[in-house]
Amino acid sequence: MRLEKCWFCSSTVYPGHGVQFVRNDAKIFRFCRSKCHKNFKMKRNPRKVKWTKAYRRLHGKDMTQDSTFEFERKRNRPERYDRNLTENTLKAIKKIDKVRATREAKYIERRMTGKKAKELREAQKELEQNISLVKAPALLKEDPSLTLPIKVKVSQKQPEVQLMEE
Amino acid sequence: MAATFASKCSRVGRSLWGGLGNNLSGLLSASHETACNHFLSQQRTFIQMRTVLKVVDNSGAKKVMCIQALKGKKGARLGDTIIASVKEAYPNGKVKKGKVVYGVVVRAAMQRGRCDGSEVKFDDNAVVLVDKQGQPIGTRVFGPVPHELRQKKHVKILSLAGHIA
Repeated sequence: MRLEKCWFCSSTVYPGHGVQFVRNDAKIFRFCRSKCHKNFKMKRNPRKVKWTKAYRRLHGKDMTQDSTFEFERKRNRPERYDRNLTENTLKAIKKIDKVRATREAKYIERRMTGKKAKELREAQKELEQNISLVKAPALLKEDPSLTLPIKVKVSQKQPEVQLMEE
Repeated sequence: MAATFASKCSRVGRSLWGGLGNNLSGLLSASHETACNHFLSQQRTFIQMRTVLKVVDNSGAKKVMCIQALKGKKGARLGDTIIASVKEAYPNGKVKKGKVVYGVVVRAAMQRGRCDGSEVKFDDNAVVLVDKQGQPIGTRVFGPVPHELRQKKHVKILSLAGHIA
């Protein structure tokens, strides 16, 4: 039994799933489901289709180089059955999967840092520039609740203002 | 990547031209679309009477037309034997045009279920000519062959094959 990778989306094809297409030059294309198969028949390039792993790796959305990927390379030599080896391998598979998942999550988190601040800045800018779409500028002067509170650096002017208010 | 698309283009081109040749009237764009749809949703079925198959050995024939599928009410599938008539042949070969021969289907465009639950399909319909006993007439086989042939006891064809899918 061997877990293959879908040619289009790079997900694992478990036994009992998918279609295998053999081209006349003896190249075998495995697909995990008919969605990938139909995209292949449409001659779509997986590197251009946004939801595939190929696109995500190419455009830096997902982690590409990591030592956990080395464990999954294809090995064609069958190993002599050894119960201990099999047990240890199964335990290792689980652990490596967990490690890889945490590393991938951290990679994506690192990619997303600064997004919230950026969104806030963009929203502020948009409000400043385009508030005239919502309310006329004349009204804004009377009712300052629509504009954002502008943080003014108050240093020595403060005591003067207080005196005047009193 | 370029080579794969070139070969795919040739395959698509053939079916597209087939569709376009039929309706070349004013609705050219619509017919192009329908030809594309037909290509995508093409239902591949069995190999039956009048099916033209490619011959992939060096027995001398190029194209044969199936006249009977032995075993199978609806038609022959991957790994089955058929009776065929040679429609096109090389000028000096072991078989001549018009001869009635037996053949083993080694590549079928219709998917065949494997015992692990997956399915295999090939790019075209191809056949290897055999005699009544099941021994191949030619001495070489071209292209990939499936290992379903082992179960059908066509071991000689498997041994001649360059690639087993």
